Amino acid sequence: MSKIIGIDLGTTNSEAAYIEAGKPVVIKSAEGQPYFPSVVAFTKTGEMLVGEAAKRQAVTNIEGTVQRIKRKMGTNEKIKIRGKTYTPQQISAFILQKIKKDAEDYLGEKITDAVITVPAYFNDDQRQATKDAGAIAGFNVKRIINEPTAAALAYGLDKEGDHKIAVYDFGGGTLDVTLMEVGGGVFEVLATNGDTQLGGSDMDQALVDYIAKEFQKQHNADLHKDPKTLQRILEAVEAAKIELSSTLQTDINLPYITVVDGEPKHLEMKLSRAKFEEIIAPIVERSKPPCHQALKDAKLKPADIDHVVLVGGTTRIPLVQKTVEEIFGQKPKREVDPMECVAIGAAIQAGVMSGEISKDIVLLDVTPLTLSLETLGGVATPLIDRNTTVPTRKSKVFSTAADSQTSVEINILQGERSMAADNKSLGRFHLDGILPAPRGIPQIEVTFDIDVNGIMNVSAKDLGTGKEQSIRITGSTKLSDSEIERMKKEAKEHEDEDKKRKEKIEIRNTADSLVHSTEKTLEELKDKFSSEDKENLEKALKELREALTGDDIDKIKENSDKLTQELQKASTKIYQQAAQQYQQTNSGDPSKSDESWKGHPSNDDSTINADYKVKGEKKKKKDEDTE
Amino acid sequence: MPTKKPTNTKKQTQETMQNRIKELQEEIKKLQTDVKDKNDKFLRTLADYQNYQKRMEKEAVSREEEVKKKYLFELLDFQELLKKAYADNDPKEGLKLLINNFNKLFEKEDVKYIECKGKPFDHTFHYAISTTEKNDCNDGTILEEVKKGYMIGDKLLRPSQVIVVKKKG
Repeated sequence: MSKIIGIDLGTTNSEAAYIEAGKPVVIKSAEGQPYFPSVVAFTKTGEMLVGEAAKRQAVTNIEGTVQRIKRKMGTNEKIKIRGKTYTPQQISAFILQKIKKDAEDYLGEKITDAVITVPAYFNDDQRQATKDAGAIAGFNVKRIINEPTAAALAYGLDKEGDHKIAVYDFGGGTLDVTLMEVGGGVFEVLATNGDTQLGGSDMDQALVDYIAKEFQKQHNADLHKDPKTLQRILEAVEAAKIELSSTLQTDINLPYITVVDGEPKHLEMKLSRAKFEEIIAPIVERSKPPCHQALKDAKLKPADIDHVVLVGGTTRIPLVQKTVEEIFGQKPKREVDPMECVAIGAAIQAGVMSGEISKDIVLLDVTPLTLSLETLGGVATPLIDRNTTVPTRKSKVFSTAADSQTSVEINILQGERSMAADNKSLGRFHLDGILPAPRGIPQIEVTFDIDVNGIMNVSAKDLGTGKEQSIRITGSTKLSDSEIERMKKEAKEHEDEDKKRKEKIEIRNTADSLVHSTEKTLEELKDKFSSEDKENLEKALKELREALTGDDIDKIKENSDKLTQELQKASTKIYQQAAQQYQQTNSGDPSKSDESWKGHPSNDDSTINADYKVKGEKKKKKDEDTE
Repeated sequence: MPTKKPTNTKKQTQETMQNRIKELQEEIKKLQTDVKDKNDKFLRTLADYQNYQKRMEKEAVSREEEVKKKYLFELLDFQELLKKAYADNDPKEGLKLLINNFNKLFEKEDVKYIECKGKPFDHTFHYAISTTEKNDCNDGTILEEVKKGYMIGDKLLRPSQVIVVKKKG
C-alpha cells in the first residue's frame, strides 16, 4: 500500500510528515527546510513560485504574491493576479502541489493520499474548500482532521480513557485555543477561541522597538529609518528569543550597525530574561482572555482539564509556558516539537488509515535495561543494550581465564552498572566438559535471544566440542517503571566510580595476561634470550606477579609497563640477531623474507578475551584468578 | 440396482474422508508452524529495522558532532589570532592575513560569493528585504546588498539579502 502523508496546511508555514516503520518523520522541502512557507507568487514573466522562493521575492512583487490564503478559505473571494483570477482553493492547491512534489522527491515514491488538518473552528465550507484544494493538487484527501486533534494524536492522547484536553496553539501570527473531550478514540470539540492578530511576530516587533529606543538614547540615532539595520536587528532578536528560552541573559552585539556623523557605531546590549519577559508580557497577557472564554463556553473549570498540549513556536518561550500553567493549573505537555506536532499527528492519523500503524505490529517491546554477562574480574560485559527493540538475538565468543579450565559459569545480568555485583542477576548456569586447554584457546559462544514476549533464552556453546547448555528467563523486558528508574538513577550516580573500578580491573586483567604470555615466551624462547635479558625479564615478571597479589593498581600498572619494556628490548635483540643470520645465509635478499609469513595466519581478532570466572578453581589457582 | 455395494462404498468413502481429514490436519499443523516461523521472522526483521533506525539516529548525532568539531577547531584558531590582532597596536597587516586565511578556508570548501549589486533580482539567489523607489534604474535591479549571500558548490548556502529598485507607477 502506498504511503499517506499528513499535512499541516498553515497560515504562514505548512509542514508535512509520514510514518516510517511506526515512527513519524518530518518531510524536508527541496530547499532543505522542515517546513514550506505558505506563499504563492506569479512573477512578471509569468513564472509561478511557491514556498521559500516566493517568500524571498515577496516585497519586490507585492501585487503578484499571495500570503495567508488560509484566512480566505471557504469564502467566495477571488484573487486577481496578473490578469488571472484564482479561488482560494486554487492558491492553496499550489502550496499542496509543492508539498506533494517535494515529498515525492524526498520519499522516492509517488504520493496520492493525504490527511490534511484545519483549525477546529473551520466551518463546513472552509473544510470543503480545503478538501477541494487537496483534490486540485492531485491528492486523494483521505480525511480532514482538526489541528488540535492532530496535536493530541501526536501525544498519543487518544489511547487513554475519557478525558478533556486543552490545546494552546500560539504561532507566528495567530493564537488558537481549543478544548476537547476524548472518549473511545473519538475527539469532540467543546469550545474554541483565539485571536487572529496575535503571535510571535508581535513579540519580535516589540523587541526591535525596545532595542531601537535604547540605541537612540545612547547614540541619538534612529535605527528605524534604515531597512538594512532593521533586518539585522530582527535577525538578532529572533536569535535572542531562542537563546533566552534556555539562558537567563544574552548579548546582542551588532558591530557597525550604523554611522553617526561619519563615525561607525556598534550596537552592544545585554538582554536579561527578566527584561525580555517584561517586554513581551503584554502580548502573552492577551492570550489569557481567549482561554478563559473557551473554558466559560465549555462550562469547564481549569481543574476539569486533564492534559494541556502546546503547539506553535511561540510556546517555546518559558513565560508563555508559565502563563499556560497559570491558566489551566497544570504543567503543559511539550515533549513533541511544537512546530511539527500537528503534521506529526496528521501523519499518525494517516498511518492508522494506511495500516502503517496497526496495534499488533508496532507495539514491540524494548529492553528497559542493558543485559550483560559477568566476565573476568566481576565486570559486566553488555550483550544487548538498553532500549533495544525485541525480538532480538546477539552472540559473542568468549574464552577461558585459566589453563585447563573445564567449566565456565554464565551469570546473566540486568542493569547499567559496570560491575556485575551491582546489577541484578537474572540467572546463572554452568557449561561443563570444556577440553583442558591453555587459557584463551577454547571458544565459547554465548547467545542472548529474547522473543517477542520478552522471554530470554541464554545459551553457551563450546565451539570445539559442540556441547551446549541453556537457560530460559521470563520477564526480561517486564520491570516496573519505578524499578527501571531506580536502576538508571543508581547507574548515573555511580558512573564515575564504576568507570574507575572497571579501569582498575582492566589494568589487572591486562597485567594478568601479560604475566601469562611472558611466561610462555620465556619458555618457548629460552635458548634465544641472552642470560642477561632472561634475568631482567624474570625479575620484572616476579615484581609484577607480586604486585598482582596486592591492591595497588598504580604499582601493577608501573610493573606492567616495565615488563612490557623489558620484553620489547629482549625481543628486538632476537630479531636483530635473526636478521644478521638471515643476511649471512641468504646473501641479503630481503624480498624473500615475505615467504615465511604466508603459512602464518594472524590470530583471529574476533575472539574476545573477556574471560569467565573460574568455577571451583578459585582457591587452587589463586595467583591466576584475579577476582 | 445393486443392494450391497452402497455399504461398501460408504465404508470406503468414510475411510477416504478420514484419511483426507488426517492429511488436512497435518497440513494445518504444518501451516501453523509455518505461520509461526514466518511471524517470528517478520517480527525479528521489524525489530532489527527499529534497532537499525536507533543506531542510525545515534550515528547521525555523532556525525554532526564530528562536523561541528572540525569547524570549531578552525574557529578556535581564528579566535586566537583575532585576539592577537586586537592586542596589536597596528593590526592592519595581521588582519589582512587573517582574512586571507578565512578566504582560503571557504575556497577549500567551495564556498562562493554571490555577486548581486546592480544585477536583476533573482529569487533563486536573492532575498528581498525591502524596495526603494528610484526612476533612474531598471525596475527589479538590486540597489543594495544588505547581507552577502553564498553558494556552496552548486547549492545555495545562504541567499544575499538585498534592496530592490521599484519604479513608480
